[in-house]
Amino acid sequence: MALEQLSDVVQRCQAIKDESFSPEDYDLFLAAGRTCIEQGDSAQVLSILVDEKNKNIVRCMGWNLLGPLVQMLLKKEDKNLPHCHAILSHLLEVCSPKELLVGLLEQVEEADSASIAETVTLLLKPLQTVLLRLGVKKASSVGMALSTLLSQVARLPVPVTKEQEEDDVFGLCRCCTALLKFVKPFVEEIKEVVKDNNRMSRDNELRVELLKFCMKSLSEPLLEVQLKDPDTLQKSPLRDFATEILIILSNIGESLPDLLSRNVLKRREVPGFLEEEVRYPKESLACMCHLLFVDHIAVDIFPAVLSPIFVLQCNMEYIELLLSRTEVSRLQKGLELYEKSLVRVEDNSLPVDLLELKTFFSVPQNLVKVMTLCPDQTLRSKGLKVFQLSIDKFTTEAKYKFFRGMLNTSHHAGVEGYIIKNIKNQIDFSLKPCNGNDWFLGKHLLPLLRLVLCLPHGPETDLLQNLDRIMESLNLLRYMLIRDKEWENETGIWTELYKIEDNYLKPLRTGLNMSKAHYEAELKSMKEKKISSKDSKASVCTVTVDNEKLPNMTPEMQIQVLQSALFTFDLIESVLARIEEIIEAKERHLS
Amino acid sequence: MAADPARVWNEEQLKTEEVPKKELIKFIQDNAAHSFLAEHKLLGNIKNVAKTAKKEQLIEAYNQLFESKRFKGTEVELVTEEVQAVKIHDTPKESKTEAVDEGPPKFTKSILKKGDKTNFPRKGDTVSCWYSGTLEDGTVFDTNIPASAKKKKQSKPLSFKVGLGRVIRGWDEGLLTMSKGETARLEIESDWAYGRKGLPDSKIPPNAKLIFEVELVSID
Repeated sequence: MALEQLSDVVQRCQAIKDESFSPEDYDLFLAAGRTCIEQGDSAQVLSILVDEKNKNIVRCMGWNLLGPLVQMLLKKEDKNLPHCHAILSHLLEVCSPKELLVGLLEQVEEADSASIAETVTLLLKPLQTVLLRLGVKKASSVGMALSTLLSQVARLPVPVTKEQEEDDVFGLCRCCTALLKFVKPFVEEIKEVVKDNNRMSRDNELRVELLKFCMKSLSEPLLEVQLKDPDTLQKSPLRDFATEILIILSNIGESLPDLLSRNVLKRREVPGFLEEEVRYPKESLACMCHLLFVDHIAVDIFPAVLSPIFVLQCNMEYIELLLSRTEVSRLQKGLELYEKSLVRVEDNSLPVDLLELKTFFSVPQNLVKVMTLCPDQTLRSKGLKVFQLSIDKFTTEAKYKFFRGMLNTSHHAGVEGYIIKNIKNQIDFSLKPCNGNDWFLGKHLLPLLRLVLCLPHGPETDLLQNLDRIMESLNLLRYMLIRDKEWENETGIWTELYKIEDNYLKPLRTGLNMSKAHYEAELKSMKEKKISSKDSKASVCTVTVDNEKLPNMTPEMQIQVLQSALFTFDLIESVLARIEEIIEAKERHLS
Repeated sequence: MAADPARVWNEEQLKTEEVPKKELIKFIQDNAAHSFLAEHKLLGNIKNVAKTAKKEQLIEAYNQLFESKRFKGTEVELVTEEVQAVKIHDTPKESKTEAVDEGPPKFTKSILKKGDKTNFPRKGDTVSCWYSGTLEDGTVFDTNIPASAKKKKQSKPLSFKVGLGRVIRGWDEGLLTMSKGETARLEIESDWAYGRKGLPDSKIPPNAKLIFEVELVSID
């Protein structure tokens, strides 16, 4: 039935002059054609379409059959496939490229999540054929195609383990490999263009579209992907994809070292400057740097002569971006990039003026957030490891400035405690023969110590909350009093001691006594309450988290908490007492 | 010895707006001995001095200068640390720290092909070069010269601003001694290359001496 209808409309249209077909003609052709294809009569449809007499009809109306055709091809029913492929090839040759492009991209866009990979891999070659037919005007169409394709491919789940990458169940690897083949002729064309490195060639439309494609790929899917190294997975389509993207960038005239240093070396305002910013999204460049320096992708096309300090400086921009995000994958990559950049630099080599750069302040701030707030324990630990590594790379003066900055801004007792421990290590180092310096001995040390040996809120400071900080600072003080003999006084601590006693030790002692008394009283009354009242379920306060009330603390638990607090105070007290002992011994010694 | 500088302004002029602070500071900085400037806190960037010094103080200093005649060249200048330290201030975004340590250069150069001997790059110039780098045992660890001549037409030499610490020190120092068109062999000791760390990713072991053949193509 449908076949007859198709023959009829085609025959009628043969008579129409100048291709002035009516909308009804189009509709009839499409309806009949679709039905025939869906019914499996593709052989007959093919013979109608290739008939010379129907050439004009096919050229105008043929592309509308793309939809049903592609659906048939995706079904992969063997008996129909060869004819359907033949129909497709014919249409690709005969119909208008622009219309074909629209039809094909529509199919890509409309693919549901289960069939994205199949659709993309099926249609890449046809799309390439059509685009090449567009000749010199193809640039914007290439751009549109690449954008549509990548948007769909980015929806595919990213393999996590090496087995998943090998199995490629959702087809991401297949699509990436096919995409590379797809862009190849366009890249070859541009290679010729960029031989003359001038403004015109840089603004070449096709080049810009390819650049956009590379940048977008770096962001999605590459930023999400965790590449496996060659020892783990010898043949990795994703690694090949990443490598090829960087090679393409290089081939279309983008210098990788220039991309690395883009955000650090601000160019003078050039016409179209804003456009330049948009062309190079920071996130994509961050991914590129991670590929280069952590995964060692395309390392043989990247010059080995750059100074490690300069590379670190450039990477800080991208580290800052990655560490300011909350997704585990971004944080992981940020930490890895930071670590790899630091490792290349010699210890004690980063000079103090680097600290004047914005990123050398903001990255540690971000790192502190990761160390203290990130729910993932591995990331917290790694964050701390990288934090210490970064400290080790600074010169002595820079360490000093950094510690001072952190003490003033971190507002977190754990971090402060960690910094104070580092200060102690630096003082210890400086006291060794031939290590003397102005920063952790001499005139600069005392102002730093004043930041360490103080209670943020005087005697009312919450000792439990500030435990880490207080313990480290007491340890530091105890260490200095033992290590630095009072007759040498290299650190100046002995002359400063009376001030420390007044400003720190005495208020601390007061606070300690107050806290102990308070908690002891609480404990006593809790115990009495427990004995006297049968109904030990009554609680003094309730705690609500996220609209859910937490189970009330039983009296047993409350007692435990109070005892644990008292134990903590004992800890502080033991160090404090030891310090007071040392001081007393010296004073007796002197008098 | 040159004659003492003359008083350009009289008392009346000094007090008025006719003589702005910055001009006064400049005059004193240009003509007074270093120690005089140090005592009167007039050293350093004119803008900063203008911020901290009052007009009255400057007039006072100006008068004192002519009374004491402590002009430049009249005293043995004590070259202080500030004057000696080479600190280059540039746009805040660029960090250029120049090592103050002097010592013998840690590279040697042998000229393979002479350059024009007239055009030498200065710090901050953009240079372009073809190069290949080998280890002492001959392993090539890096090069930007493609294998075939045809490909060389399609590639570009490496471009960067020289003397600013963006490349290893051996390169920064070495390239400054080359003239346009020159091809040289630079043997760089590890201290001015990748030092104790090396670059394992790029096959450079720790403490490696690097040998480069560099052709300086252009200077901008």
